[in-house]
Amino acid sequence: MQEMIDRLRSEASAAIAAAGDDAALEAVRVAVLGRKGSLTGLLRGLKDLDDTARREAGAALNVLKEELSAAIEARVAVLGGGTPAASSGYDLTLPGHAPAPAGSRHPLLTVLENICDIFHGMGFSRDEGPEVELDYYNFTALNFPDDHPARDIQDTFYFNEKVLLRTQTSPVQVRMMERREPPLACIFPGRVYRNENADASHSSEFFQVEGLVVDRAVSMADLKDTVDTFVKNFFGASAPTRFRPHYFPFTEPSVEVDMQCILCGGKGCGVCKQSGWLEIMGAGMVHPNVFKSAGYPDDRYTGFAFGMGIDRIAMLKYGITDIRLLYENDLRFLNQFRGVQ
Amino acid sequence: MKISLDWLSDFVDWTDETAVLAERLTAAGLNVEGIEQINKTFPGVVVARVLEREKHPDADRLSLCKVDDGTGAPVQVVCGAPNVRAGLTVLFARVGAELPGDLRIKKSKIRGIESFGMICSATELDLGIDGAGIIELETKLPSGTPADELFGFKDTVLEVEVTPNRPDWLSHVGVAREVAAIYGTKMSLPPVFNAVQGGESLGMKVRVEHYADCGRYTAWGLQRVKIAPSPRWMQNRLRAIGARPINNVVDITNYVMFEMGQPLHAFDRGQLAGNAITVRRAPKNTSVQTLDGQTREVEAGTLMVCDEKGPVALAGVMGLGNSEVSEKTTEVLLESAFFNPSLVRRASRRMGLISESSYRFERVADWDMVERAALRALQLLQEHAGARIVPDWADRHDPDHRPADPLPLRVWQVNRLLGTAVNTGQVAQILQRLGLKVQPMGNAESISAGAVNMMVHVPSHRRDLLLEVDLIEEIARIHGLDQLTGRGGYRAPGGAVRRQPDVVRERLREWLSACGYAEIVTSSFMESGDHDKLALAADDARRATLAVVNPRHGGDTQLRTVLAPSALVVSRRNLNAGATPPLRFFQINRVFRPGQPLGREIRHADEALLPAEHEYVQVAVAGWRDTGLGGLPCDLLEIRGTVEALAGHLRLPLVLQPGADEPWLDAGASWRVCTADGRVVGVAGRVAPAVLAAFDVDGPVALAEVRLDDLDLTPAAARFVPFTRFPAVKRDLSLLVPSGVAFGQIQDTVTEVGGELLELSELFDIYRGKGVPEGNAAFGIRLKFRSGTGSLKGETVDAAIGEILAALKDRWAIETRGL
Ligand SMILES: [Zn+2]
Repeated sequence: MQEMIDRLRSEASAAIAAAGDDAALEAVRVAVLGRKGSLTGLLRGLKDLDDTARREAGAALNVLKEELSAAIEARVAVLGGGTPAASSGYDLTLPGHAPAPAGSRHPLLTVLENICDIFHGMGFSRDEGPEVELDYYNFTALNFPDDHPARDIQDTFYFNEKVLLRTQTSPVQVRMMERREPPLACIFPGRVYRNENADASHSSEFFQVEGLVVDRAVSMADLKDTVDTFVKNFFGASAPTRFRPHYFPFTEPSVEVDMQCILCGGKGCGVCKQSGWLEIMGAGMVHPNVFKSAGYPDDRYTGFAFGMGIDRIAMLKYGITDIRLLYENDLRFLNQFRGVQ
Repeated sequence: MKISLDWLSDFVDWTDETAVLAERLTAAGLNVEGIEQINKTFPGVVVARVLEREKHPDADRLSLCKVDDGTGAPVQVVCGAPNVRAGLTVLFARVGAELPGDLRIKKSKIRGIESFGMICSATELDLGIDGAGIIELETKLPSGTPADELFGFKDTVLEVEVTPNRPDWLSHVGVAREVAAIYGTKMSLPPVFNAVQGGESLGMKVRVEHYADCGRYTAWGLQRVKIAPSPRWMQNRLRAIGARPINNVVDITNYVMFEMGQPLHAFDRGQLAGNAITVRRAPKNTSVQTLDGQTREVEAGTLMVCDEKGPVALAGVMGLGNSEVSEKTTEVLLESAFFNPSLVRRASRRMGLISESSYRFERVADWDMVERAALRALQLLQEHAGARIVPDWADRHDPDHRPADPLPLRVWQVNRLLGTAVNTGQVAQILQRLGLKVQPMGNAESISAGAVNMMVHVPSHRRDLLLEVDLIEEIARIHGLDQLTGRGGYRAPGGAVRRQPDVVRERLREWLSACGYAEIVTSSFMESGDHDKLALAADDARRATLAVVNPRHGGDTQLRTVLAPSALVVSRRNLNAGATPPLRFFQINRVFRPGQPLGREIRHADEALLPAEHEYVQVAVAGWRDTGLGGLPCDLLEIRGTVEALAGHLRLPLVLQPGADEPWLDAGASWRVCTADGRVVGVAGRVAPAVLAAFDVDGPVALAEVRLDDLDLTPAAARFVPFTRFPAVKRDLSLLVPSGVAFGQIQDTVTEVGGELLELSELFDIYRGKGVPEGNAAFGIRLKFRSGTGSLKGETVDAAIGEILAALKDRWAIETRGL
């Protein structure tokens, strides 16, 4: 008997789950629970058993009956989602009314805030500087000699000989150091400008986050740890990073920081140009000439600085293929970032 | 910069495969951006002899030839080249041969005659040799020799990114030095001509007007030069790194530049006037023709190389056409010099002429290479241009020039800056691997703040090493940056501080996006006609803008002074794209106001030149055509509601007062946003129809802008006030309000007369039409009374309402309507 009950349980459950509409479900109900249904048949057969067996089988069959009835009811609810609820007569499938319609935060600034938050958690204070800058702060104070090819790296919008649109957030470093004595741990987000034509990966306006740490004995190893902590927090995994020696006039030693490609795990793909690495920031130890610009005494402090392009990171994070989408403000783009924190 | 590995292997050996070499160079700071395999091969192409040539019977321009391609039997082939003739030794593509451009040679019929192959021209084989006809080879070559043996070429080319501080990497010798340092091996320099002094005079004097402009100028003489194509291996290498072969003399000067990093220039001695070269500044503006055939305007003060008649070269940038080496050249004057980097850079910038030469000079060439590179060129010219070297040379150099002073290095500082624990021996070893000379100082074991452990002598090709810290970077590079491990990241003592503006901006973003507004990021530039479109008055201070003097091609030049246009542009874009109104946007962005007070501490005198950067929050509702309470447009009601709710959310005491200061807002539908003390900090309202039309926006736009940087963003403190627990009494009034009376006036009266008992008055309806006399409106107003001392009696409330109604009638002629 128990065997028959088990078989019925599995067959009937399968049939209920397979029922594609109300009619099919009703057919299953009749075939199992109906007057001539299989379960009803088994119940009728109880009378032929001895007392103990009848009691046991009877209890088991009643449990099964309950189960299958509940399963059929649940299936009704799934299939008949459109049917009005019985008691009130309300059509509960009508659209709801939110207290406010859905808006969105711009993905670029969301990423910028995320980055600042991570550094805030590491004890960095946030500040900002002017976007229209003096050549002095953007270049001279950052150890870019006049008439030097280093200036070519960044095509600059000039208003006159002394005034320009900052090409980097780095001038805020000097402004901060002029105002305050170490220890400093700061983060400077903001908009920067390059005098170049726009294409899928270049925009003449974009965003950077700059970091600066100055203290009595801050080292390049500290920089590496700080970068690794950031990468782990931001990208959510401990993607390996590597430092590649590079050149920036305002840091020495200077490096570019690569992170193992998060899309291919380092195997090489289109996004990382088959290299397995993604460049995420420039960094280095603050150049002694920059400390000089800030008016700090020689040798007293060491420090590190880093800067990263937010646009690229946002594009990586959200799979955005063309930087111009970030500045077109098309709602079909913006709406995709509803609720993104 | 491209580096040929074939070429590089002349100077240094390495064992790794290319990918590993590339990785190690990248790790050392010479970023390899690409690896290109060159494999020039000509399968099926062989040397052949033309045995017979006759005219094609049916085509005047075609020849019918029999060639011996080394297989024995003569092969019949139709040829279209005018220079084909019996006895020539040619390159022949057999049937089945594969030519560049995926051309496969098949048996064919040309004008009825069968042809079994093709006699090739240089163009067809992509050999980079000019000439329309077929190639004529030396007759000695045996038929059947594969073309690969003559012209085949294999190489691997690295595309490297050379940072401006490392001009030494702009040459194969420089990269070889790095490879040697990485692998700890030796590198060798290319062979040079052993100069023989004496006997004969160069016949050319050199004068340098200012050594500051040109620290060294050397000139060398060559005679009986035979101009011809340069040797094939040299052409191959030049082509591999992207240079175009021209002739042996020009190619050799270029070759030496790419090899050793020193730009050279060859003058046709026969074209030089007189017997003296002078390096001097141009006294006045002049016009010259450079050897690329372009006429260029040269500013006074530009450094020139001149003969006795005038300029023959723009020093360090490019030679002039008047003294260019040509096919007729037989005598050459070779220049190798050290020009002032800034002067070369300025000249090159001004003329928009960046040459391989100027690129290297402006990055500071290698002083010691001036002579060596010339001698290398002489050696090559002697060998490949049949030149006789005049055993005399002219050399003018700054007598005050000194090698760089040795740099003191403290191992203490190395470890302090890098977070390493290296010792004096390790440091010295790394520096020596880089070819730097190390002179120990003091006690090698003494690693302390004051202790200089060594003096480091920097060779002339590493003039980027100016300070101790530059040496530390070298140590970091070679020691390996992946070796660095720290203490888990720097943590600021005292922790981070959040500034109020950042907190407020973040709260605004969160709140506005939750209220349905989409955040936008718009350009800091404005379009040139925006101020006119906004109908700003001629004397509006916002018409003063900053304009970029070197805009990108076709780009906007003026920084915006008003935020409004960007909202209109975004509205237009999305309405045109078919988005369903109402569209809601917000942005927090800056405008740039020259001549306005900066509002920050000034440290640099020139900061007076900077504009004030005012930050605004802007909210906008676009395309909403519905009307709401009192027939007011819904967007107008929403914009007001948003500003008020925003002020409430931030606990800022902002109020809206009807009125307009903005010409681009509809005067009858706008407010000033004011602080508690009446200062105007923003505007809100509907954009004037003419302005919408000017910006081509198809639909209404309501917007509000509040300046944040000028606002005290401290939220009002929260402090509990006890409230009464006695019940309230609500009464609804229906008032017949004559037109011209505003709700605000009614509310003021009600509040004033209602006194302490009146807790709240609110408008819930405005009705015009049936049952309401023409020129009147029915206002539904709800009043809520409550006393702090006990439950209100009905008669007390009735009395209060009576007073209110009397005052309304008295002051505004408002009647009650039966409810
Ligand atoms: Zn990848």
